[in-house]
Amino acid sequence: MRELLHHPAVQAGVAPFVLALIVALALGRARLGGLAIVAAFATAVYLIADFNFSPLTVTRKIILLGMAAPIVGILADFAFKPTRAGGVMLALASAAATLWVFWPVLAQRETAQAWLLAGTVTVATAGMVGFSQIFLSEHPIRAGSAGLGLGLGAGIASILGGSANYATYGIALGAGAGAFLLPQMLTGRKIAAGTTFVLPATLTAGLIAAGAMVLAQVQWYSVLMLALVPVAARLPLPAKAALWLQAVLASLYTLIVAGLTCAIAWQLSRGTAG
Amino acid sequence: MNKRFAIAAIAFSLPLGALAAPETYTIDTIHTSIQWEVNHLGMSNWRGRFERPVGKFVLDRAEKSASVEITVQTATVSSGDHDRGSRPRSLDEHLRTPDFFNATEFPTMTYKSTSVEFNGDKLGTIAGNLTLLGVTKPLHLNVENWNCGPNPYSKKEMCGGNATGSFKRSDFGMKYAVPAVSDVVKIWIQIEAYKNQ
Repeated sequence: MRELLHHPAVQAGVAPFVLALIVALALGRARLGGLAIVAAFATAVYLIADFNFSPLTVTRKIILLGMAAPIVGILADFAFKPTRAGGVMLALASAAATLWVFWPVLAQRETAQAWLLAGTVTVATAGMVGFSQIFLSEHPIRAGSAGLGLGLGAGIASILGGSANYATYGIALGAGAGAFLLPQMLTGRKIAAGTTFVLPATLTAGLIAAGAMVLAQVQWYSVLMLALVPVAARLPLPAKAALWLQAVLASLYTLIVAGLTCAIAWQLSRGTAG
Repeated sequence: MNKRFAIAAIAFSLPLGALAAPETYTIDTIHTSIQWEVNHLGMSNWRGRFERPVGKFVLDRAEKSASVEITVQTATVSSGDHDRGSRPRSLDEHLRTPDFFNATEFPTMTYKSTSVEFNGDKLGTIAGNLTLLGVTKPLHLNVENWNCGPNPYSKKEMCGGNATGSFKRSDFGMKYAVPAVSDVVKIWIQIEAYKNQ
């Protein structure tokens, strides 16, 4: 059993997926099925790291925000009505959180490079959070597909950028989004996504990709490409088609953009001197 | 006569006083390196090194006391695999990521002694603290082949020797791929240092 839990495929995929599926099934009717993505992320953190937050490194700040995001999400879903202004506020808060995570490291770099990287991570993360909150949070199939593309895109780009830990976190997010979609595809009944799903999915995936850029070797172009995944999830779907077909199509859209993200990361990593 | 005797006594005692004083040595970065070893997949032992550590030690041979301070740039970690070829990354690049040494966020690791035991006239064991990835934990080093004397060519006073120790990397939060890449890291330090003028 212990050997099984040390296997990367179990740590990144199987265990997060199973836990997320249980959460989606158990809490779906209580409008908390979106917590599936957090269950997946927390499982990966438990298996490859820990919940120790001292010293508060970049990675630990990402984990902390990944754990705090669903609390904000639940509060937003149950205490407020979704509005565009709310989406903008979440985007601005995500931008501030992103700077809190990365600025101490970026400040050590040359000024021009620091601003380029800070601008990239802030715009990408805030853009993903804001767009998803405004346009996807009320559409669980689109939101789930965006989570799938963001998680797998961030994860596989992180592998190419050199960080297996970040890859595990990203792929676990993708597995969690998959587990959120699966019951909807099988039963034909939607599970509410809301901010509870969208905020952890987009903020955590954005921070993982940004972390792989700042601390490993994912290029900033790749991170900006990844930020287009939620936009792809907004592409037209046949409204009257079965949910499973909508999920397949929406996931196809997001996975194409995620694939482009990884292709850029792959090409640029081969083109950069080692 | 008494005055001459006093002057002679002072002159005679000067070298003894100099010998008793603590002496500071600065590490020769060219001839000092740190090697590490971990087991890979339970199969072979994988070895690498850190280049050009800097630091100093203070030695009081009369009092048999000493203190050591070494700083290593984590980005100098090397496994011998630094060329990517057609791969997305080399092993050295991977070692610098947050999976291992997180060299961007933690550019240095340091070792500072807390106490030193002598074995006769020579350094024996060093108790101290290793700070790696922002975490400080005790690390004991056993010193072998410790020698001091003039460099045969430059005649500068120097000391040198070898030190060995081991630690668990997970204690410092470096948990990636444990146990496929062993938790226990063995280290060997070969050190040479010159006395400050």
